[in-house]
Amino acid sequence: MRGTDALLTARLAAGDDHALAEVFDRFGAVVYGAAVGVVGDGSAAQDVVQDVFVELWRHPDRYDPDAGSLRTYLLVLARNRAVDTVRSELRRIARQQRHFRLTPGEPPRSPGEEVLTADVASTVREAIRRLPDAQRRVIELAYFEGMTCREVALAAGIPEGTAKSRLRLALAKLETVLDRQLLESP
Amino acid sequence: MTAAPAPAGGELPAGLRARVLEASRRARAAGRSVPEVSEIAPVEAFRRAADALYGTLRALSGEDWRRPAIRDLDVQGLVGHLTGVEHDLQRALAGDPAVGRAGHVESTQGAAVRQAGRSPAETLGEWHDAAADTLTQVAERDGTSAIIALHGLELPLNAWLVARAFELWTHENDIRLASGLQAAVPDAATLTLMTRLAVGLLPHAVAGTGLGRAARVHLVLTGPGGGTWDVEVGDGGAIVPDPARASIVTDAAGFCRLVANRASPAGMELHITGDQPAAAGVLAAAASLALD
Repeated sequence: MRGTDALLTARLAAGDDHALAEVFDRFGAVVYGAAVGVVGDGSAAQDVVQDVFVELWRHPDRYDPDAGSLRTYLLVLARNRAVDTVRSELRRIARQQRHFRLTPGEPPRSPGEEVLTADVASTVREAIRRLPDAQRRVIELAYFEGMTCREVALAAGIPEGTAKSRLRLALAKLETVLDRQLLESP
Repeated sequence: MTAAPAPAGGELPAGLRARVLEASRRARAAGRSVPEVSEIAPVEAFRRAADALYGTLRALSGEDWRRPAIRDLDVQGLVGHLTGVEHDLQRALAGDPAVGRAGHVESTQGAAVRQAGRSPAETLGEWHDAAADTLTQVAERDGTSAIIALHGLELPLNAWLVARAFELWTHENDIRLASGLQAAVPDAATLTLMTRLAVGLLPHAVAGTGLGRAARVHLVLTGPGGGTWDVEVGDGGAIVPDPARASIVTDAAGFCRLVANRASPAGMELHITGDQPAAAGVLAAAASLALD
């Protein structure tokens, strides 16, 4: 007799949309909570939830019941999507700041965009603020100033290899912080 | 970093559930199984089933050919029965109305008992030639959609070819069981055609067994060859209530064994929710589809 997770996944693979509704009713709140923990409770979190369940529905065979619970699998998916959201937001903020510097007087974005940006950006900025000074500096130079590793090294007065390793460490730490938040979600 | 408090269950934003389900259904239509299986033609399903049976028969010992298989037939007699079915199908393809009314077992019993005293090689060769003749006659026809009457049923030739693949697989497993071999499962493409045919015939089968009430049954067949269907059964012309009254989940190969009358609901891994009598009626009807 198959376990509940294995049966649900087999039903999803068979195209049973009733099973999808069951999975959402069972884990939707947990996945949403995990997404909120990383990107805030705006529409970005809802986008993460949608991406997670669409991914499960399109590729249920990617979940292996022998490797862990469906709940854990969905939380890992949520973590990956949420971190992707944060990363792309980091890049977007950096692009925008460079753009505003070059083209003053750009019309403001819509209220919806502002809310989304505020939610995610504040989460990201808070995570960056908590980094050690040296790591925060290279992140700010690389992402917000749009510098290459070589330029970061020159600006910070450190060897290029050091700049690269600090960037790697800083990004890994950001992900760890985001992961911990996710895992602590109910 | 200050994490926003994670919401407890039941605190999902309004409309998120509907939004997620709608987006999912847009990304992949409900009903179709994944990973997707390449479609094959019904005649290819028949060819594959015949090849699989031929492989099994060639590996049998002389003693295996004499083992009891089904009804009063040993393995050799069962292969003779299959030769008889091929000959009847060929007569049906030629337009002989007599085989349309003939019984599946009665009409082929002569070919089955004729095998007594013959060598297994003779029996095997005769059946193999008969199956090859069927393939030749099908290939020579102008299309495979014509209605063919055989053994009390009228079905398009395409459906007959799948039904024949179904029968060859069923009897291959009868023979494997008699010989102490593990049961075989068709490839996913063949199994897909078999489950589709069986599900398509379910409403007629239910009507034949007199389930009576109109019902919509959500049928989920898992594993290779599976899929999901809402099967409408019951009185002809009656309004079928929505949503489904009962849900049946089982694996596709097991369902095909049930349809072949080689498994009983009691011995299957079944997950039934909702109207139990309606589900039981559908399962009983599925088993009645077997020609044997």
